[in-house]
Amino acid sequence: MDKEAAETARESLELVFRMSNILDTGLDRHTLSVLIALCDLGINPEALAAVVKELRQESGTSLRS
Amino acid sequence: MEEDDQQKATDLVHELVLRLLSQNPKTPNTHPDPNSPTFLKTLRYAHRILRSRLTPSVSPDSAAIAESLTRRLATQGKSSDALSFADLYTKFSSKTGPGSVNNKWSLLHLLKIVSEDRQSAANGLDSSLLLLPNLNLDDAVLGRGKKKDWSNNGGVLLVSKDPENLRDVAFREFVSLVKEESEVTEEVLVRDVLYACQGIDGKFVKFNSEIDGYAVVDYVKVPRATKTMVRMLSELGWLFRKVKCFISESMDRFPGEDVGTVGQAFCAALQDELSDYYKLLAVLEAQAMNPIPLVSESVSESNYLSLRRLLVWFAEPMVKMRLMAVLVDKCKVLRGGAMAGAIHLHAQHGDPLVHGFMMSLLRCVCSPLFEMVRSWVLEGELEDTFGEFFVVGQPVKVDLLWREGYKLHPGMLPSFISPSLAQRILRTGKSINFLRVCCDDHGWADAASEAAAASGTTTRRGGLGYGETDALEHLVTEAAKRIDKHLLDVLYKRYKFKEHCLAIKRYLLLGQGDFVQYLMDIVGPKLSEPANNISSFELAGFLEAAIRASNAQYDDRDMLDRLRVKMMPHGSGDRGWDVFSLEYEPRVPLDTVFTESVLSKYLRVFNFLWKLKRVEHALIGIWKTMKPNCITSNSFVKLQSSVKMQLLSALRRCQVLWNEMNHFVTNFQYYIMFEVLEVSWCNFSKEMEAAKDLDDLLAAHEKYLNSIVGKSLLGEQSQTISKSLFVLFELILRFRSHADRLYEGIYELQIRTKESGRERNKTQESSSWISEGRKAITQRAGEFLQSMSQDMDSIAKEYTTSLDAFLSLLPLQQSVDLKFLFFRLDFTEFYSRLHSKGKES
Repeated sequence: MDKEAAETARESLELVFRMSNILDTGLDRHTLSVLIALCDLGINPEALAAVVKELRQESGTSLRS
Repeated sequence: MEEDDQQKATDLVHELVLRLLSQNPKTPNTHPDPNSPTFLKTLRYAHRILRSRLTPSVSPDSAAIAESLTRRLATQGKSSDALSFADLYTKFSSKTGPGSVNNKWSLLHLLKIVSEDRQSAANGLDSSLLLLPNLNLDDAVLGRGKKKDWSNNGGVLLVSKDPENLRDVAFREFVSLVKEESEVTEEVLVRDVLYACQGIDGKFVKFNSEIDGYAVVDYVKVPRATKTMVRMLSELGWLFRKVKCFISESMDRFPGEDVGTVGQAFCAALQDELSDYYKLLAVLEAQAMNPIPLVSESVSESNYLSLRRLLVWFAEPMVKMRLMAVLVDKCKVLRGGAMAGAIHLHAQHGDPLVHGFMMSLLRCVCSPLFEMVRSWVLEGELEDTFGEFFVVGQPVKVDLLWREGYKLHPGMLPSFISPSLAQRILRTGKSINFLRVCCDDHGWADAASEAAAASGTTTRRGGLGYGETDALEHLVTEAAKRIDKHLLDVLYKRYKFKEHCLAIKRYLLLGQGDFVQYLMDIVGPKLSEPANNISSFELAGFLEAAIRASNAQYDDRDMLDRLRVKMMPHGSGDRGWDVFSLEYEPRVPLDTVFTESVLSKYLRVFNFLWKLKRVEHALIGIWKTMKPNCITSNSFVKLQSSVKMQLLSALRRCQVLWNEMNHFVTNFQYYIMFEVLEVSWCNFSKEMEAAKDLDDLLAAHEKYLNSIVGKSLLGEQSQTISKSLFVLFELILRFRSHADRLYEGIYELQIRTKESGRERNKTQESSSWISEGRKAITQRAGEFLQSMSQDMDSIAKEYTTSLDAFLSLLPLQQSVDLKFLFFRLDFTEFYSRLHSKGKES
């Protein structure tokens, strides 16, 4: 992975993170990068969103219980 | 490569799960143990979701998603955010090549969903707790939904099978098109339509008199589809105006004749319906305050109103309002029962909604009508100020109360009351009124309350309603049964109807033989005088004497008092016989049965019978003188043989003619008395027993009288034969006077011959002039007998021809009983043979 590519990736991540903030998704950079990678792998974004939502809830409930 | 990706994905998912779980806002620092069972479970769960091979429900168009996100931010009032988001997006999309995000739309989509999820969670509406996803109801306005709520329940995901994002684009284009096309927003139009539906002009939707309806005003630009829809919706307003107008007009006119209680009830029922309608409008107006969300917006939980929704809301009121408008049109000119009938015709509808609606309407409309029926049937009251009831009362004299006092008004008879039922209703009320007015009786009230109790309804008001025709029929039947029975009881027991009929039969129809005989005896000489010499008081005295002398004296005094002598109007040449008659005075309430016309029929029958009786009496009277006995026959011995022969032949002729006449009169009288009067009376008695109401009784009496009139040859069809009958009667009476004269002559002759014989014994010498005197007597007797026998011959001849005419007419009569009369008269076939002989010659 050359430097330019890394730069682009970083910038992209930054942009995505800002967009994500505007949209108030509540996702941090690390999670976003994981999600970007998963999207790039061609995984259905809707399924991913479902996972995000579910796990947020899950973590909330599981820890509460 | 494939395996590599798989491995990579697994790792990434592991990482993601780890991150997400550690991100929990409540416990930010706890790192979950990657090997704990909870974690593993969660991981498995994540895998399961991801493996579910979902395909995205939108088309892979990152620009479209970005656009929709921007717009949403803008509509949420975060225009600065929206701008910066658009800026970021352009930058983001420009990043291409290695290191950049390859699957941009996928990522954006992901972000969008996550953000929406969070937003809806923040709004407090935890959609995940709902079993079913919210259907986006704005679809109703702008087409089918483009997005699905990603709500789930216990890991079950809802799947949309729409792989393309094309629809999304199309919808966006559509929305902008709609916005471009219409200058006014839908909310405003909805509000205007709601106004129009109350008959008020809105801002843009106004009443257009050209097209006679509400429409969007021309100067506002709205899509044609919307215009059409507005027109469709505001039809309700048009209908409403019509109904409202009718109600207010009717109410204004109310005290007037042409509205009436039924019309008023109809208005009240309509008003009730309208108040329901107002309630609906109020609810809708409250809803119309909520804004209509656009396609891309998430559903707000409060209800809002769009034109399409309005269409659904208005479906039912529209049907009702249309019905009401139709009824209003129909009923404009109708009143009372006719109006109820017209509405009833509309109630015959298969649609349960319409049917139910009409039923409730009719129940209101008919309540005054049923109230009238109830009070009429149970109390005999005609509470009909506006002439709406199908029974109409007329002010008449008491004796006509039953026949003409009350009539059915066919125009006011609603079709749900059958004519026979109406007839029964009419009769029941009439019976009550008859009892009250004519019979002065109050026992009917018990009968009425008994009837009401038996039919299960109370005597109070409002016990009946539309749709309970069976109950009504039952009530009417019960009431009719009891009241009619009571009426007949009163007539029979208190007013002795049967006894009066019998009295009429005995006196007017000459059933009481001894009375008639005596009356004939004492009145006869008087009646032979000219009519103007006779005073009716004198005759009344004779009548009284006849009653006292006969068995009639034991009769009820009340009935005898009613028997009167009546002198008919007479001309100069009339004899007493022509004008004398008896009449029976019926008093209230019996004059309902014995009306003027009935009495005149009785009078005709009486006159006929009286004449018959007189003829018979005359024949019997003559028989007294002409009875052959020794005295007369002895006295003839001394006569000269020529005169004697003449005398005997005249006597013989007289006897033969008398016999012939007697045969005829006896048989005819037998026929009248036994075949006509008694048989009719017997039938009448039977029918009187069987009569259930006064109408039956009247009909039975009518039948009785008509059968008497018809069989006595007094009817219309038998005028010729009755004429020939009267000719016969005349001949018989003429015969009587001739025979009287003959016998007078004979007696005179007898006396003369005796005297001459005695003188001869005393003075033998003066026989010469005596013999001369004898000669003169014989000669005069010869002349007298000559003329008498000539007269007798002419009478006999006339009689034969008249009888022949009568007998030839007899078989032409319709009545069967006359055949028996003919048979009796011509028992030996004497007349038929004579007739055929006469024909042959």
